[in-house]
Amino acid sequence: MVNYIVSGLERSGTSMMMQILYLGGMKVAFDHKRRPDEHNPKGYFELEGGKIITRLMEGTFPMEKYDDMVIKVTAYGLRYLPREFQYKIIYMRRDMEEIFASMEKMSGKPLSEEEKIAFVKLNEYALSLLERRKNIDYIVVWYNKVIENPRREIERINKFLGGVLDVDSAVQAVDPSLYRNRNMEVKR
Amino acid sequence: MAEEKEKKYTTVSIPTPLFKKIEERIKGTGFTSVSSYVTYVLREIIAEDAESEEAFSKEDEERVKERLRALGYLD
Repeated sequence: MVNYIVSGLERSGTSMMMQILYLGGMKVAFDHKRRPDEHNPKGYFELEGGKIITRLMEGTFPMEKYDDMVIKVTAYGLRYLPREFQYKIIYMRRDMEEIFASMEKMSGKPLSEEEKIAFVKLNEYALSLLERRKNIDYIVVWYNKVIENPRREIERINKFLGGVLDVDSAVQAVDPSLYRNRNMEVKR
Repeated sequence: MAEEKEKKYTTVSIPTPLFKKIEERIKGTGFTSVSSYVTYVLREIIAEDAESEEAFSKEDEERVKERLRALGYLD
């Protein structure tokens, strides 16, 4: 038995990946505590209104209830995953400058350089944790590569998941018009 | 707006052949520009210098947690 997890830093495309898996026919667990908004018009696809990390930190999240289902646990929460379960994790990566721009837009507060470094370190830490833990099998998916060629990336993900996805349907989840916060810095 | 953008970024010169090598290197990766790749690498170096003992220190953790609260991901 296995728990499927979509992870990555906040604003790295985790909600898009949840939607891909949802449309692709996987059992995706989420509630409606956090409604879709301008930052995630198609919804957040989260449990506990996005505060699943708090439950994981407290040790009160019932992971066993989500066997064979997909849940979203962003990067900071990975260290709190109960060790007694087996996980298959899709880890989203995105150009960090785009992540920071999106975080700033969403929270309405600029990130300091120290904060940016902390998120770079968190990203590296999460990736090293995925590599170290024996109960984790993972794949890294870059957000902009999904936007560029959804079918190729979703087929790669499908292989990782054992061929359970309906790729034709999953591809419909990718909406390039939602690729806002594109890194325009070099195009100045 | 243009002024604000100018404050956020500045120019660093690197040799053109190096720029081209980096451009080649990031092809097919998720990095969308040489600038953002170089910024990422530089931040990693700064991070390594600043924290030799812990990969992700308590201080970093507090910074991340504060931002995650602002984004609605933590109580």
